[in-house]
Amino acid sequence: MKRILFPLVIAIATGLPRFAIADAPARQIDLNRFPATKLDNVVVPLPSEVFNVLDKLGTPDWRGELRNPNINNRGERAQIALLLGSVVAEGFVAVEATDRERVKQVGRDVLQLARAIGVEKTVLARTNSILTKADSDDWVGVRRELDGALSDVKNAMIQLRDDQLAHLVSLGGWLRGTEVLTSIVGKSYSADGADLLNQPDLLKYFQERLAGMPPRLRNNQLVSKVQKSLDEISPLINQKITPASVKRIHEITGDVVKAINSKA
Amino acid sequence: MRRLFIAIGVLAAQAAVYATVDDAISRAMEAIDPYVKQGYAVRQDEWGGDLGVKQQQAITHTLFKGNDYWFCMGTDVDNARISIHVYDARGKLVENDAWQKGHFAAARVIAPATGTYYIIVEVISSPVERTHWAMVYGYK
Repeated sequence: MKRILFPLVIAIATGLPRFAIADAPARQIDLNRFPATKLDNVVVPLPSEVFNVLDKLGTPDWRGELRNPNINNRGERAQIALLLGSVVAEGFVAVEATDRERVKQVGRDVLQLARAIGVEKTVLARTNSILTKADSDDWVGVRRELDGALSDVKNAMIQLRDDQLAHLVSLGGWLRGTEVLTSIVGKSYSADGADLLNQPDLLKYFQERLAGMPPRLRNNQLVSKVQKSLDEISPLINQKITPASVKRIHEITGDVVKAINSKA
Repeated sequence: MRRLFIAIGVLAAQAAVYATVDDAISRAMEAIDPYVKQGYAVRQDEWGGDLGVKQQQAITHTLFKGNDYWFCMGTDVDNARISIHVYDARGKLVENDAWQKGHFAAARVIAPATGTYYIIVEVISSPVERTHWAMVYGYK
C-alpha cells in the first residue's frame, strides 16, 4: 500500500457523468467484522479543514488569540519540527485575524525554520506566495499556501526518510491548533464547538507514532513532554467533552506549546 | 550489449508502474475537477494503491461537523468499475450523495458530527488482477 504524494497538476474539465447512479452500498457495516483492509496511516486533517468550521462559529477575537512564536529559540531538529508545525498553525490564526504583517512574518518564519531543517527549497515558492497574497489580502490564497507549505515540508521530510520529523510537524500544528480551538470554545462554550475536539482516532494515531519513534527521539525531553500531554488529553477526548475538559485541554496544550517555543 | 537491453527493460518496467499510478491520480483529479469549480478546496495529497476485484480498502479520516466533503476516486484501468462510500464510526452509511461511472467514483458527505469516518474504496470489476486506484478529496 502506498500513500502517493504528488503536486496538484492536473485539472481537466471533462464533463464528468455527475448523474451516474451508484450501485447501492450497504446501509450499515459491522466494524467488528470490518470488510476492508485499513490503510496504515489515518488522514491527518489540514489546518484549514478545522479553521473552515471555526469560520462558521461566529466571530471570535482572533487578534486576542495571536501569539508571537520565538523561532530564534531553536534547539534540536525535533523542536524545530514541532515549532514549524505550530508556526504554520499560527499563520491560520493570523489569517483569521486578517493581520497582514503577522501573516507575512509567519511566511518568513516558515522559510527560516525550513532552512534550519534542510527543506528550504521545498517551501520557497510557497512562502513567497504567502507574502504576495497577504499583500493583496487574498486570505483564501494564503490559507491554501499555508496548507501547501505544511504538506510540502512533510513530504520533503518523508522523501529524506525523516518520517518521524514529519509527524512532529503535524503534531506541532495540531497542538497549537487545539490550544486556539479550546481557547475559543472555552470562551463561549457550545456543544457544537466542543464537538470539534472529538478526534480520538487522530489522537491515538499521534500517540502511536510517538510510541514508535526510535529511543533517541522518544527520550528527547520535549518529545517526551508532548507524549505525556497527549496521554493526558486522551481520556478527556474519549468522553463527553465538557467545559471543564475544554479548559483542561487548553491548559495542557498551552503548556506544551510554550515548551515548544523554548529551547529544549 | 545484453546489459544495456536489461537496463532498458528495467527502466521501461519502472516507467510503466509510475505511469499507472500517475494515471490513477489523473483520473481522480478529473473526477474532482467539477467540484473545484463549485468552490471546494482540493487537498494536494493523494491516497492510493492497488486492489484485486471485490477487494476493499478503508481510509480512516477525522471529518469536522459542518464541513462539506467530496471524496473522488479514479483508476487507470479503462474497463474497471470502482466505488467509494463513507461510513461513520458506528458503521452507518453517511454520505449525502454518491456516483460511480466506470473508472470514476465519488461520494459526498456533509459531516453530521466531528469524529472518525471510514472512506471505503472498492474495485467492483476489472479485467486485470490488480487495479491501481487513487483518491483525492475536497472540502468547503
